[in-house]
Amino acid sequence: MGFREEYEQIVEGLKQAIGAENVVDYKIPRERRIFVTVKKEAVVQAVKYLAEEQDFWHCSTITGLEAKDCFEVIYHLARDHAISLSLRVCLDKEKPEVPTITDIIPGATLYEREVHDLVGIKFIGHPNLKRLILPDNWPDHIHPLRKEWTIERIREELRKAEVIP
Amino acid sequence: MAGLVGSAYTVAVYGLALIVVVGILSLFFEWFDRKAFARLQNRYGPLHTGPSGLLQPLADFIKLLSKEDITPEAADKLLFALSPVVICTIPLLTLFFIPVFSKEAIVFFEGDLIFALFLATLLYLFVFIAAWSSTNPFSIVGGVRAALQLMSYEIPLALALIVPAMFAKSLSITTIAKWFETSFQPYALVPLALAFFIAVVCAQAELERVPFDIPEAESEIVAGWQTEFSGRKLALLRLASDIELVLMAALIATLFFGGAAGPWLPPFAWFLIKTTIVVFVFANIRALFARFRIDQLLRGAWGILLPLSMLNVFVAYVLMQMM
Amino acid sequence: MSELEIPEITIPVGPQHPALHEPENFTFKVDGEYVVDVEARIGYNHRGIEKAAESRSYIQNLYLFERVCGICSHAHTTAFTLNIEELLDTPKPPRAQYISMIVAELERIHSHTLWAGVAGHEIGFHSFFMYLWRDREVVMDLLEAVSGNRVHYAVNTIGGVRRDITPEVEKKLRKGMDILEERLKTYRTLALEEPTLIKRCEGVGVLKPEDARRLCAVGPTLRASGIKHDVRANDPYLAYDEIDWEVVSYDLCDVLSRILVRIDEALQSVYIIRQALDKLPDGPYKVRVPRNVPEGESVMRVEAQRGELIHYVRSNGTDRPDRYKIRSPTLGNIPAVCHILKGGYIADIPIVLASIDPCFSCTDRMAFVDVNTGKKWVWTGEQLRRYARKWRG
Repeated sequence: MGFREEYEQIVEGLKQAIGAENVVDYKIPRERRIFVTVKKEAVVQAVKYLAEEQDFWHCSTITGLEAKDCFEVIYHLARDHAISLSLRVCLDKEKPEVPTITDIIPGATLYEREVHDLVGIKFIGHPNLKRLILPDNWPDHIHPLRKEWTIERIREELRKAEVIP
Repeated sequence: MAGLVGSAYTVAVYGLALIVVVGILSLFFEWFDRKAFARLQNRYGPLHTGPSGLLQPLADFIKLLSKEDITPEAADKLLFALSPVVICTIPLLTLFFIPVFSKEAIVFFEGDLIFALFLATLLYLFVFIAAWSSTNPFSIVGGVRAALQLMSYEIPLALALIVPAMFAKSLSITTIAKWFETSFQPYALVPLALAFFIAVVCAQAELERVPFDIPEAESEIVAGWQTEFSGRKLALLRLASDIELVLMAALIATLFFGGAAGPWLPPFAWFLIKTTIVVFVFANIRALFARFRIDQLLRGAWGILLPLSMLNVFVAYVLMQMM
Repeated sequence: MSELEIPEITIPVGPQHPALHEPENFTFKVDGEYVVDVEARIGYNHRGIEKAAESRSYIQNLYLFERVCGICSHAHTTAFTLNIEELLDTPKPPRAQYISMIVAELERIHSHTLWAGVAGHEIGFHSFFMYLWRDREVVMDLLEAVSGNRVHYAVNTIGGVRRDITPEVEKKLRKGMDILEERLKTYRTLALEEPTLIKRCEGVGVLKPEDARRLCAVGPTLRASGIKHDVRANDPYLAYDEIDWEVVSYDLCDVLSRILVRIDEALQSVYIIRQALDKLPDGPYKVRVPRNVPEGESVMRVEAQRGELIHYVRSNGTDRPDRYKIRSPTLGNIPAVCHILKGGYIADIPIVLASIDPCFSCTDRMAFVDVNTGKKWVWTGEQLRRYARKWRG
């Protein structure tokens, strides 16, 4: 299989650029799909390398999710709309912060705002980290896509904050 | 005032009849315009109210009359209430100078063409006042656009309407209409045709219809200068735009086709036929084009129509001197 | 215009505005007829679909995702079923792949003709709108013949498709394709020759290729800027790699180019459907799949009508997803459209906004309220008035 070697070379290049200790693991499930996990410290460098050296200029979206012991932020990057590389980074539950990548890929502005809004992850250095999706009178401490916030709990809290009757 | 037909009594009777007839005509032309427009687009248009939907405009009018009339808090109450009435009255008044029932208008005097044009300009002043008094951003942008549009189309329109007046050697609409019947010369056809073309284009702009419906471009600024008007005021404005349609069609039919003048049939029938044809031309234009942008419109008006109309007046003058 | 010292006016476009067919808010700062600045505020359509998906089984989610959007409903379920099938390691049977592809292309024709009509309406060209929508009925009828529905086709299911294409339907499809091909060619000529349409669209809303790249534009917006990227060709799914077709792109970078891209794409769809009908393989159109999905994750990208649509799923071994993420094409195009609106005319706002074919229903799929308990939000008139008074202060 030719594609596997090619994709491994991409990951090798990434390892050289950001240091092998910063690449936690990677997998290649099938053609045109790569999943890479990197450490939080190296995420900006990794995106920079991938976007500028490896031509992954397109950011399809950013997923934020709550796993068992951390918050995950997954950057779905794409090369020529063909190879989709998902760059995963795990964040501390106590302090979910990650540097922004908008200065490298300006098209990611709204995606970062969306994740900030719904999962409550702070993107340090984002030029305009305002509300994008939730209403303006939404209480700041409710992050609807976190697991602790069940639908019932959200409703209760909103009633307490007098957002809904 | 010189040239009044008969006594003040006859003027009053004819005037009243004219107002009623214009009211009916304006609703009829709205129906005709809508129907023609719809058929050109492979649609049915009004269908259910009355035969072939003939009563639809009337139904719309009555419906609007019964709707809630809202005046915005910040609006200038007096001007806001007054402007629809004035906007409705002015075109009605102008129709008094156009021969409808007989070969002579109810009121005519030497220079009534200029007066009619003056009234049309005044109309746009009130459009702007209506927009300004409603203090809505959409209205203001619409009003500014209407004013810009008027400034650029008034001059070519006046120059186009002057051409038949030059040939008839009169500034009275009635006299010009008579000239078509009595002393029309074929050499006048070329400048007249060009003037007719310019007048039709300008009339579309004056009536705020596609491709010049910029002051009320629905998808850009909601309803433009009319945005804040509702209920009775909106009904009046809608009626006003219908009367304007009658006025423009009648003015063009009279100045370029002799209006009520014609053999065999009674004058009113000729008036009706010719005006309907002009409305049909308007409906065709509406179906054929996309809306221009305001800058494109201004460029078109000052860069093409104005030089063209001036040239046309010059050609007409030379022709008159030669013949 | 600024020498006249007209004060800057802020024009709100939306949430309710005739140029937008769905509630969204764009605030424009204008100077005379020029747009100085623009800010987008989305979120008026949130139904909390991503949150709702976590508490539903995969089969229930199939119906939920069908309803993310009314226009690209098939694209969303395609991405969803392909994602789940990848986790289950049971691809759709070949016949199902072709049927799904035929419906996807029918949907594309329907969406593109709808869009071109709306574009005509935005520039005040009502006849263009009326004629296009008349011909769109042809493809709507075909969709109804294939799927039984006009809007939510409900064709895809996990492990195949739910309905077969019978020989009678195939005949109807071929006939419909002939009509559509002829009509689409007419509209293409019209778009290239009608002077007022060209005047309003040429050189308007220019998105340079480097800006399109920088701002991560997707779909026809990207292809109209001369970048030949199409997920169907670059990352083929279903049976697109077995069909001979072309990626359409124009390099005028303006609204006219976006109109032409869409009309040509609809034409390409006609060719794809014809070939797919010729090649339609025999065999089953559906296989049985287990309810529980093994632990894993998968990314699926689909070329919806408006551009690249990406779905990401994280499963945990149960019959419900742990996290389901959708990014619809419109969200990807908003930074680009905000960029191209700046410095333009007010009159160009509707057509430029419309030129990315925005679908806010897709964009706003993830707020908090469970769709099922939506009745919590139904207010009586009195409550609404009280809220309004409170809000106004």
